[in-house]
Amino acid sequence: MAAPLSPARPALVLATLLGSCVILLSIQVRRSGQGTLAEEWALDASSALVRGSTGVRSAAGSLVGSFATRESLREENAALRERVAALEARLHSLHGIALERDRLVRLLGAVPAPPPGTRPARIVVIETAGPFQTALLDRGRVDGVEPGGVVVGEEGLLGRVVSAGERGARVQLLSDRTAATGVLLPRTGRVAVARGDGASGAAIQYVPAIADVTVNEEVVTSGTDGVYPRGLLLGRIAAVRRPGASLFLELPVDLAADPAREPLVFVIPPVRPDAPAPGATPAGRSEP
Amino acid sequence: MIAALGLALAALGTLLFGVLALPHPPDLFYLPVASVARRGRSVPAMLTAFAAGLAEDALATPGRLWGLHSFSKVLVAYLLAAIGARALVEKPVLLGLLVWGAVVVDGLVVTLLLWILRGEPLHPALAALALRAAGTGLLAAVLQALLRYPWKERRAARRRRRLA
Repeated sequence: MAAPLSPARPALVLATLLGSCVILLSIQVRRSGQGTLAEEWALDASSALVRGSTGVRSAAGSLVGSFATRESLREENAALRERVAALEARLHSLHGIALERDRLVRLLGAVPAPPPGTRPARIVVIETAGPFQTALLDRGRVDGVEPGGVVVGEEGLLGRVVSAGERGARVQLLSDRTAATGVLLPRTGRVAVARGDGASGAAIQYVPAIADVTVNEEVVTSGTDGVYPRGLLLGRIAAVRRPGASLFLELPVDLAADPAREPLVFVIPPVRPDAPAPGATPAGRSEP
Repeated sequence: MIAALGLALAALGTLLFGVLALPHPPDLFYLPVASVARRGRSVPAMLTAFAAGLAEDALATPGRLWGLHSFSKVLVAYLLAAIGARALVEKPVLLGLLVWGAVVVDGLVVTLLLWILRGEPLHPALAALALRAAGTGLLAAVLQALLRYPWKERRAARRRRRLA
């Protein structure tokens, strides 16, 4: 007795027989100017296989390439970042140099013909604690800076050198309570004395209450004290007060030069009583 | 065995129709195929159809394509066997209709196959196909009627009448 057929067997037989027929037909059928269908199908299948393998290979290649490109881009990016940082540092330095250059140009404009022996210097420390107002310069005797030298900033007079070491010098600022400066009010030609207020300014003393003084009036050195040459800008009158009982005016002065804003200064050699007066006058300033 | 005999007779009949040069001869190879398939036995039916198709291809005029009719006949035999497995195909008219439909489907499948193989559309001769299918179906119905006729009983009855 024959075993019953499984449901899949007729379908398998059908597929086998139909496949055989198709193969038979494909071997025989030849289209015009071409090979048989079987050859065409084989070619199509092989070309599809080749295309597939080529596609897989190119995809793998592009994947590897993209990884390599990414890595190289990362390295390039890191190198560029370093370069940008270096360039930024250099730019910063150049910016500082440019600022310094501008300052020098302005300084030279303020003192167009500095006396012989004038030295540039930097204020490295400002000491304002207590009644004494001093600053330290980075130049000393070795550099030609001597006690009694006049320190001038871009905006005006700063003070005088009171002591000088080998490589540094101490400057007594105009705002020091013990500093006294012979001054001149150019508008009226009145001569007076300016004394430091121990803070950040100075005050003119011994100007009679009847004197003609106005606020914001310019104050320059008079050259009568034997310390400062004549005509250096000291500051401007901040206020004019007339106390009822006193015979003199109270004239606070806003100093023109602020040592905190004058990192680069000139040190003019000390004024010698026997030497001719130096021709250092601020640019555009008229002698009274 | 019966299928092989049927195939041989179909081949002879086809040759005879070729000699007679009938315009639309019936497809005699469908008779043994239908005979096997109507019992619902798909594998023998398909194998018979495959052999029948190869024989038909062999008898075709030069330019023959081996496997063309085998393909269509195997497919149709599978369908016939599927019908035979689900319905009782005994009556001559029913068998004739099935064979008629089988020949029509066979013609359409052959046309479609040629279309695919040649790569250009080929319109079937529907009238010729219908005539060929009708002839085959009619022949299948007649043969089924002859096979179902109770020849022995009739002969015995006639003898009894004669003796009486």
